Amino acid sequence: MDSQLLFSAIWVPFIFGSSLALIPSKVGSKAYKWISLAGCLWPFLVAWYLFFQFEDGLQGGYQFEFLQSTGLDSLGIYLHLGLNGISLPLFILAATVGLAAIFYALHSHADRIQLYLSLLLIMLSGLMGTFSSIDLFFFYFFHEFALIPSFIMIMIWGGVARYAIALEMTIYLTLGALLSLVGLIALYQQSGADTFSMLALSNALAERPLTETIESNIFALLFFGLGILVSLFPFHSWAPKGYAAAPSSAAMLHAGVLKKFGLYGLLQIAIPLLPMGAFAWSPWLITLGLCNIVIIGLVTMAQKDLKQMISYSSVMHMGYAFLGLATFSVLGAGGVLLLLVAHGLSVALLFMLSTSIYKRFATFDMSEMGGLGKIAPNLSVFFVLAIMASIGLPGFANFLGEFVIFAAIAEHESLRWVLFVSALGIMISAIYGLRSIGNVVFGTPVKCNSEEEVELNDMKMFEKLPALLLLGSLMIIGIFPKLFSDKANRDLMHLYGDQEMVLEEISRSDENQNLND
Amino acid sequence: MDPLNALLGILFIPLLASLVIVLLGSKRSKAGPLIAIFASIGLLLLTLSLISNEIGEAVRFSWEWFRFGDHTFELGFLFDNISATMLAMIAVVGLFITIFSLGYMSDDQAKGRFFAGLSFFMFSMLGIVLADNLIMVFVFWELVGFSSYMLIGHYFQNEEAKLASKKAFIVNRIGDFGFLLGILLTFWQFGTTNIEAIAMAVGMDASTINTFIGALLICGFIGKSAQFPLHVWLPDAMAGPTPVSALIHAATMVAAGIYLLIRIDVLLAPRILTFIAYLGAFVALFAGFCAYAQNDIKRILAYSTLSQLGYMASIFGLGFPGIALFHLITHAFFKALLFLGAGAVIHACHHEQSIFKMGGLYKKMPTTTVCFIIGTLALCGVYGFSGFYSKDAILIASYGVQVELFYVLVFGALMTAGYMGRLVWTAFFGKANSEKALQAHEVGFNMLLPLIVLAIFSIFVGLNHYWPFALGGTISADLDTIHHMDGYKSIHKLVVILGSTAWILGLLGSLLFYGLGNKEDLLQKRAPSVFAFLKGRLWIDEIYSYYVNKIQRSVSNFLNFFDVVILRGILIRGGSGLVGALGVGLRMLHVGKLNAYSIWFLFALLFIYLVASGTL
Repeated sequence: MDSQLLFSAIWVPFIFGSSLALIPSKVGSKAYKWISLAGCLWPFLVAWYLFFQFEDGLQGGYQFEFLQSTGLDSLGIYLHLGLNGISLPLFILAATVGLAAIFYALHSHADRIQLYLSLLLIMLSGLMGTFSSIDLFFFYFFHEFALIPSFIMIMIWGGVARYAIALEMTIYLTLGALLSLVGLIALYQQSGADTFSMLALSNALAERPLTETIESNIFALLFFGLGILVSLFPFHSWAPKGYAAAPSSAAMLHAGVLKKFGLYGLLQIAIPLLPMGAFAWSPWLITLGLCNIVIIGLVTMAQKDLKQMISYSSVMHMGYAFLGLATFSVLGAGGVLLLLVAHGLSVALLFMLSTSIYKRFATFDMSEMGGLGKIAPNLSVFFVLAIMASIGLPGFANFLGEFVIFAAIAEHESLRWVLFVSALGIMISAIYGLRSIGNVVFGTPVKCNSEEEVELNDMKMFEKLPALLLLGSLMIIGIFPKLFSDKANRDLMHLYGDQEMVLEEISRSDENQNLND
Repeated sequence: MDPLNALLGILFIPLLASLVIVLLGSKRSKAGPLIAIFASIGLLLLTLSLISNEIGEAVRFSWEWFRFGDHTFELGFLFDNISATMLAMIAVVGLFITIFSLGYMSDDQAKGRFFAGLSFFMFSMLGIVLADNLIMVFVFWELVGFSSYMLIGHYFQNEEAKLASKKAFIVNRIGDFGFLLGILLTFWQFGTTNIEAIAMAVGMDASTINTFIGALLICGFIGKSAQFPLHVWLPDAMAGPTPVSALIHAATMVAAGIYLLIRIDVLLAPRILTFIAYLGAFVALFAGFCAYAQNDIKRILAYSTLSQLGYMASIFGLGFPGIALFHLITHAFFKALLFLGAGAVIHACHHEQSIFKMGGLYKKMPTTTVCFIIGTLALCGVYGFSGFYSKDAILIASYGVQVELFYVLVFGALMTAGYMGRLVWTAFFGKANSEKALQAHEVGFNMLLPLIVLAIFSIFVGLNHYWPFALGGTISADLDTIHHMDGYKSIHKLVVILGSTAWILGLLGSLLFYGLGNKEDLLQKRAPSVFAFLKGRLWIDEIYSYYVNKIQRSVSNFLNFFDVVILRGILIRGGSGLVGALGVGLRMLHVGKLNAYSIWFLFALLFIYLVASGTL
């Protein structure tokens, strides 16, 4: 029953989305709104229902498993769905951001809005599928399924230079996806398991571990492939341009959820299955992660365009996640999980608010903004809180994610310098965050000389509701992190608990070697 | 009442008030002040009931916040005599400042935002005071920073407020950078950040004290208590409404740094303590000098706050946390009084803040003047006023431990009396120097009441023998220590003589030098170079703005250029260009002639032979 519900979270938005594309636009203007609302509300309700059904007392592993033959049995490919403590938070993230993005899109007055909503729903369906797939083939398939609509949306509704940007983004992201596909296939082939199921793979690998060379080669493919998708330095340049050009709801879904695919793949698959390979590559994880934080952080400071600034800041925050992964500890992995959810919610919120701000100023250039506090007090409050959340103010989930990752780094004496360099990020982000608030919210309204001239143009209900949903979720997780940490703990212990011991042994043997030398 | 419920009530009443005010929205913002006042009264009553019930025993509660693997993070209360003393001070000062705000902010358009911010600040501040572990302290530490940011930026259309609020937050973040790292290292050093557990661990094994961790932890104090070199935000923070300056930037938040030091006392190695002692003494003098070149009444008081925080830090570093706490409490009352007095003056003078455009206010605002003078005398440490008791204790203790610092601090007291005399003689006496000052009249009763109450406290709060039993245990312990010092009587006599000479000289000297109700700064006129030097404040602000505008900006612009042009433009675009060029090149090989292909075939054979034979 619950597993059928889980499956329905994927097909309901898909069916509703495709039916929107098929029904003629003349059939009542209200109908399409209700259809798309139902299409995005269903996964949201299912996700939260499953959240409360999820038993945290179990041994770990997947719940609500759903298995369906697809006719590809000979290749070992099944439609195998399920949630564990790591995918559950991301599943909820996808549903939450999806609801907010589509609700916001309903009122966006875009041309050919039916097609727009239809693509968003199809994208949502792919996202729900990605985070609930146990089968690696479908994990990858659903990702592509969500990726393609985002290209189309940039092509049709994008901003300046949309064709060139969409093309660049397509090539870049497809390259990343291809690399990771090769990695996944190599993993499948090397493991000797005759199925793509993550469970079978991990069992097979536990019985017959790969050699260190093979592990490290496969990990390299997954790391750089997935890294491109997560805008790992220096493969990030698609992100700022792409998001700047993307229509807001597409940017919300892409930056908020789809981008998390790469880190989720590393967190759930690559590192647990290839611990030795990951360990061999950990200097790269750390170095590039630090580049994301410090170099991109400084680049973010130089941005004058609000949307570009948000895009760069989102690239920057991914750096913490790579560092968290590089600690190979339950604490680090937990921090990454929290940060993924937190960042997804906050960046979606920021992209949405930036569009709302654009509507008030008719520009994204921050130097031409000012006085939003006077023009739209409520919007300003949301914007200030969203920026505060994203720069890690306690009370919001982002703080916990960063904090737990820092704590995990601090555990290792040898990573002390990493801790110091990465914590520079909290100052860097404060600088660009507060600068943007200063430019947008503070000051006197532009183009008005006296206070009387200011016309109040505050948030409408369709802007408030999704903003409240996202901000509220950030605060709930930030104040009651137990909600997710208790559910995730067993799986994190299961996947990362052993690694801590393994790594201790490795470092001990290294030390012995050093002593012998 | 059950202590747990009382503590929960104390912490969450202000939060609740703040949320209700926000939810009421701007249309019903008139209810905001009332809600905030009721919340403050409730807070005070709960505090009183808690203090009267608890008999000296510390109260502890803690809950698991979240857990990853074997690592648990907790939230919890630690209510002992130190937090009780702070709580009592915050509750009393907070209530009267809220009442004062009612009048001060009466014509403000955004009352709702102001009172919501004030209540939220109370919540965050109480969180710091009641926290039982350093992670929770850090959470609320950041939240006070946020509420301070919002309140400094209250007049958000004002360029000054925009810059000041940003500066305050960022400078504090710099301090928090070190503080956070210190907390994390403490966590792994002791396996917990619980304050009592750490104290126990250090008690068992003193070698766990780590100088480096201590140095990181005190960064938090340096940022929040605005000590050198992170002091630059506090004077600018005066751009906020005056009640905010009184509550946050004089009485409570800036004192949180000192409170933190008292809490983590055991973690600080002797070298760190010595550093704090000298740093504090330096700030006490440095800020005193700076105050002479300020004309804005609030900025003078801000520098005075800096210098008093320096006194607290200095005596803490010399090993007397109780005396630091004592001075923190007396200072909170008289400095809140002085700021509210300044607020009343500013309100009466229609937002004129320069003391040289005031003058002669005593005739128009007699009650305010009397209260302000009481605050001044308390600040100068005049015998019988609260400031005397704490400053006296500071001087005696410092004489006993470190005589050089004693002389610095006595000289600081002279400076204090000097700049306060300059302020009082210029602003309140003589003749009115501007139209605004001429039209000033006494403020209403709702603003006078807090002044009078705080004035009474400023006189008597120094008599710590009469405090409720639950308060001040640490303070009395340290006072007992100095009373039993060798030669206490003679030191005490010397201190009283030197201290009294200092304030008398300061007040008289400033009267003789500046005169009554002067229109211009005579120091500026008579010794412009000295004045310019003092006004320069060691050019710390200039150095920082050079760093921000020149170095940091060019680095980030360069990296942006690097990112856009090199990474994206040449590598990525160039990469795709390379693939394209390769395609063109390969196409040229396919010329479609048999002899060309046969030549390529031979080349390939040669290549394969070379590889196979191992030559290549």
